[in-house]
Amino acid sequence: MKDFAVFWGCTIQARFPFLEKSSRIVFDDFSLPYKEIDGFTCCPEKSLIDNVDHEMFVVTAARNVALADENKVDIVSPCTGCVSNLATVKGELESNPKEKDTVNSLLGEVGREFEGSAKLSHLVPFFHDSVGSHKIKQTIKKNFNGMKISAHYGCHMIRPSHALRNDDPIDPVKYDNLIRTLGAESVETDTKLMCCGQGLDRVDQHDNALHMARMKLKELIKAGADALTVCCPSCFLQFDNNQFLMMREGEKLGLPVIYFTELLGLALGHTPEELGLDLHRVSAEPFLKKWASLTADNQEEINSGLNATGTL
Amino acid sequence: MIKSDLDLKLLEKCAGCGACFSICPSCITIPGYDPREVIKDILAGEFEKWLESKHIWQCLECHYCLEMCYQHYGFENAMTALRTIATKRGKFPPQVKRGWDMFAKSSRLGDPAMPARKKLGLPEPKKSGKDEFLKLHELVLKAREAENEKKTGTDDE
Ligand code: SF4
Ligand code: SF4
Repeated sequence: MKDFAVFWGCTIQARFPFLEKSSRIVFDDFSLPYKEIDGFTCCPEKSLIDNVDHEMFVVTAARNVALADENKVDIVSPCTGCVSNLATVKGELESNPKEKDTVNSLLGEVGREFEGSAKLSHLVPFFHDSVGSHKIKQTIKKNFNGMKISAHYGCHMIRPSHALRNDDPIDPVKYDNLIRTLGAESVETDTKLMCCGQGLDRVDQHDNALHMARMKLKELIKAGADALTVCCPSCFLQFDNNQFLMMREGEKLGLPVIYFTELLGLALGHTPEELGLDLHRVSAEPFLKKWASLTADNQEEINSGLNATGTL
Repeated sequence: MIKSDLDLKLLEKCAGCGACFSICPSCITIPGYDPREVIKDILAGEFEKWLESKHIWQCLECHYCLEMCYQHYGFENAMTALRTIATKRGKFPPQVKRGWDMFAKSSRLGDPAMPARKKLGLPEPKKSGKDEFLKLHELVLKAREAENEKKTGTDDE
C-alpha cells in the first residue's frame, strides 16, 4: 500500500477533534502507512468558495494536491467534502491542459507544481477497497450481530462520479458492505441517498436544514434503526447537532449518530470514551446499551453451549 | 454574462425535460424551490430577478440531478451560474460572506481547536500553508486587475 497523507479538513479539526482521534486509532490498529505533511489549507469548501471565486477554488485545491504529489503520497480523508472538492479540481485540470498550465504557472511562483499523481480517496471506500472486508473481519474483536445500522453516504463521498469514480453514484454499496462486514444489518430506507441538508445552514436557512434532517431521522426511527452512521463532519453536524437542537425544542427523536471510525473503533475493542463518543450532543447510550446486552446474550449462549442453532 | 457560464443548448433541453424535479431533495422539501422556473426565465433572458432570491442558494450542490441527467447536465448548473453572478455583484447570504472572508484571511474555515486537542491527546497540527496561499491570492487578484484594465472601455459585459 502506498503511503498516504490524511487530509483532515477544517471542520474536523476546528469543531470535532474527537473524529480525528477515532480516525487515528483505527489507522494505527490496522498499521496503515499514514504520514503527516505540512502545508495543507482548506480544500476549499465548494459552496462557500467556488461560488465566490472559481479561480481561487481551483488554485487552492491544486496546491493541496501538489503537496501530496511532491511528497509522493496519496490522500485519504475522513471528510466527503474535502475529497470531492479536491477530486473535482483534479478532474477539471486533467481534462483541461490549458487551465492546468495557467494554474501551474501561478503555483510556480510559490515553488509548487500540480501533477495529479496523488490518488484521492475518502476513508470509507478506502477501507472497503484497500483494507478489505477479510482483513477487517480478522482484526475486529467484537461484531455488531443483531444491531440495525443505516449508512448515510453523504453526497460527496460518491458524487460527482466523473471525478471520484469510487462507487455507483445513485446505487452505492460500499458503506453498506462495511456495515455488514462488522456484523450488523444495514437498514435501507427511501431517504438513503437524500442529501443531509447541512448546506442550508451555511446559507442562513436553518429551518429548511432542520426540516431535511428531520425527514431522514424520522424514517430511520420508524424503520427501527439503532444508529445512523456517517463519515462526513458536515453530515455529522447536521444529524447530531441539529437533531439535538430539535430535541431541545421537544421533538421526540434521539437516534445515535456514529462516525464510521467510531463504529470501527468500537468493534476493535476501544471504549466509547477513548473514541470520543461521549462528546456527541445526541447520546450514543441507547446504541451502546443494546449492543452490550446483545454481546452479553451471545456470551451466555456460548457459555451454556447452546450453539447448535447455527447462528454463531 | 450568463451565456459564458451556461450551455444554452443543454439548458433548452433541460427546460423541455424537467425530470429532476421529482428526485431533487430541495424540490421535494422546500416550498417554492423550482429550478424549472428559473431555467425558463434564463432562456427568456430574465435571469436578473432571481439574483436576489433565496431560492438560488437552496441548491445543495448534491449533484444528484447531474448524475441522473441523460445529458450529464443537471439543474445545478443553472443555479451555480446565478449564484456566481450574484456574488460578483456582492449579493450573498451573510454566512457565505463570513465564510469567504475567513478563508481569504486565514486559508481555512476554522483553526484547530487547541485545548480540545490537548485533552484528547492529539499531536500538534501540521503547519498550515497560509503564507503561500496569501501570496497566491494576491497574484490572482493582481492578474485579474491587469486583465480588467486591458478590457476597460472595450467590453462592459
Ligand atoms: S444539485 Fe441542487 S438542483 Fe441538483 S438535485 Fe441537488 S439540490 Fe437539486
Ligand atoms: S438536468 Fe437533465 S434530467 Fe434534469 S431536468 Fe434537466 S435535462 Fe432533465
